[in-house]
Amino acid sequence: MAKQINVSLIGNPNTGKTSVFNLLTKLNQQVGNYPGITVERKAGVCKLSRGVKAHIIDLPGTYSLNASSLDENVVIEVLLNKNDKDYPDVAVVVSDVENIKRNLLLFTQIKDLDIPTILVINMADQMKRKGITIDIPELEKRLNTKIVLMSARKKQGIEELKKSIEDYKKLSVAPCLDAFEIDPEYFGGLRRAFPKQSLYKLWLVITQDVNFANISRKTISDTSAFQTRKESELKRLQQKETIKRYQFINETLKATQQIDIKNAKGLRASLDRILIHKVWGFAIFFLILLFIFQAIYDWSSYPMDMIDAGFAALSDFFRASLPAGPLTNLLVEGIIPGIGGIVIFIPQIAFLFLFISILEESGYMSRVVFIMDRLMRRFGLSGKSIVPLISGTACAIPAVMATRNIENWKQRLITILVVPFTTCSARLPVYLIIISLVIPKERITWFVGYQSLTLMLLYFIGFGAALISAWLLNKFMKMESKSFFVVEMPNYKIPLFKNVAINVFEKTKAFIAGAGKIILAISIILWVLGSFGPTDKFSNAKEIVTAQYKDQEVDDLDTKISSYRLEHSYMGYMGKAIEPVVRPLGYDWKIGIAIISSFAAREVFVSTLATIYSVGSEEEETIKNRMASEINPVNGKPLFNFATGISLLLFYAFAMQCASTIAIVKKETNGWMWPSVQFVFMSSLAYIAALVAYQFLK
Amino acid sequence: MDFNFQTIIVVLLFVGAVFFIIKKFFIKSSENNNCGSGNCGC
Repeated sequence: MAKQINVSLIGNPNTGKTSVFNLLTKLNQQVGNYPGITVERKAGVCKLSRGVKAHIIDLPGTYSLNASSLDENVVIEVLLNKNDKDYPDVAVVVSDVENIKRNLLLFTQIKDLDIPTILVINMADQMKRKGITIDIPELEKRLNTKIVLMSARKKQGIEELKKSIEDYKKLSVAPCLDAFEIDPEYFGGLRRAFPKQSLYKLWLVITQDVNFANISRKTISDTSAFQTRKESELKRLQQKETIKRYQFINETLKATQQIDIKNAKGLRASLDRILIHKVWGFAIFFLILLFIFQAIYDWSSYPMDMIDAGFAALSDFFRASLPAGPLTNLLVEGIIPGIGGIVIFIPQIAFLFLFISILEESGYMSRVVFIMDRLMRRFGLSGKSIVPLISGTACAIPAVMATRNIENWKQRLITILVVPFTTCSARLPVYLIIISLVIPKERITWFVGYQSLTLMLLYFIGFGAALISAWLLNKFMKMESKSFFVVEMPNYKIPLFKNVAINVFEKTKAFIAGAGKIILAISIILWVLGSFGPTDKFSNAKEIVTAQYKDQEVDDLDTKISSYRLEHSYMGYMGKAIEPVVRPLGYDWKIGIAIISSFAAREVFVSTLATIYSVGSEEEETIKNRMASEINPVNGKPLFNFATGISLLLFYAFAMQCASTIAIVKKETNGWMWPSVQFVFMSSLAYIAALVAYQFLK
Repeated sequence: MDFNFQTIIVVLLFVGAVFFIIKKFFIKSSENNNCGSGNCGC
């Protein structure tokens, strides 16, 4: 009687799995659906030697067994259920030669299900061209399985695969990772409750909510000897599992795989030779940054002027058309200037996101990560720290969360503590307005100006502060550490316009929507605090000032009255109270108020100043003009001069002014100690840097 | 101060804004909190 072997073909998407399936089954295939769902089920038959037939199921492409879609769920259902007619005698995991690391995650998970598993390395004909060498016997030994090198495109290796399928009984089913190692306490409890079952299968039942051998998630949680944990804790254990697997994979690949870029051929290899070169790589990255920062200035000035003028006209329109009263004043002097103060930066923020998206989509960003890795290690950071540090240029919150894939706690903690130094998009409005006020517009060469160079320097200062702090923290915290970093280099491609456009739109929308609500609320509060006062000096401001100047000819009596009124408002008293602290930095009480309000979020600084300067003012001027015309009452010179400007720029480069970052650091470090240390350190550094800069430059 | 319609709306907006800020920065500290700065999903 002819024997039949059930074979499951599994792999990440785009590994050439379907080509391998077509080669094995030729045209002997049936296409249908899995029962009850619309996921396509492809099956076929392959004739092996001695009359043996292989019944081959092409399972949907998946990156791991941690299912997030219906397709991936199908894979787990088939692999867990021994009663399923498709349950495999042997699994064939198809990987492609360029992305072995990512593919091995799925391989190790499938091997841990007690199923004999063959690893196919597809596209092996490209190995030489890509400069990749793999020690196959050593890799087979470490993964404890049979490896078949294939090229489905050139129809190479298919006979060896057929032979390996036939000999599946010789394969070991020893797991790559003992689930007990993920969390001995948790998995120890699970083992005691179900001593006869595979730990990893039980773990999948719990996390993926599937059934196996009459055990469901419910039966596990109902077992008195064992309690499943909360969803968030399960997620943490899942992350731990992934980290443990990658540790194993990294060690395995380090010993068996070599990628020598010098031996690689083709366009990608030629580009890589330049872009990840230890000198040219940095030089090109530097030039790209220079281009981006200059473009941010050059391309966005026209739309910015239009937005600025538009908001001034809007205020004018509302003042003329609405009945006079406090609500109209709040709208015209508080809300519109406050919101306008941030909306004006949409073009520049959108251009920054546009360039970052293009760099990511084209595959260049991974090369940046690679060249930066060498630099990172000198400062005691993990190669993986570069991802949070780069994503920190958008926002520190996802960057702090991105540190979760750093397995070494010391390196993770250091990364969390230094990430807020990276220049996030919230700092951008503050930098842009101050730079436009105190740095000359002239160009140094035909394509680089002083303003864009200053902006780039501020990014470098933030990055430098992060590296130096990391180095100090690394010296200070004595813990032994060891880590691996394998970066996957995607192919270069021309960015898809649709992807880039969606990315820019979504990120800009998130910036405006998120910041908009806070700015609206703070604008309302500030306007009220600036429009009412506790004493007679506020309500009788007009009489007092007129009496003061009754014997003199004064041109700007109205400005003097509104200025006196503001000084004696609630906001004025609060500002005066903090003025002694900010005076040595070159700031007046109005800037002091803006700094205090921007402890909630940095971008509020510009809106606060826009609101403060609008309160009581009849003229609808642009924010930049208002700031430029502010006079320092002590020396009668413009308040925003070079010394004050640099002092403010440095203050914002170092200060930890983001309540949400403090909250996320508290969550990630499980306590108030580290966010407190971070806040005190960054604020002190910001104050000292601003103080030194002002005292030195004034 | 005259307590007309505009004044009442301003007072309500002020109270709402204060409440919003307190809620945002002194109570909330979840993963999805609002940094208002780009790609943090806020």
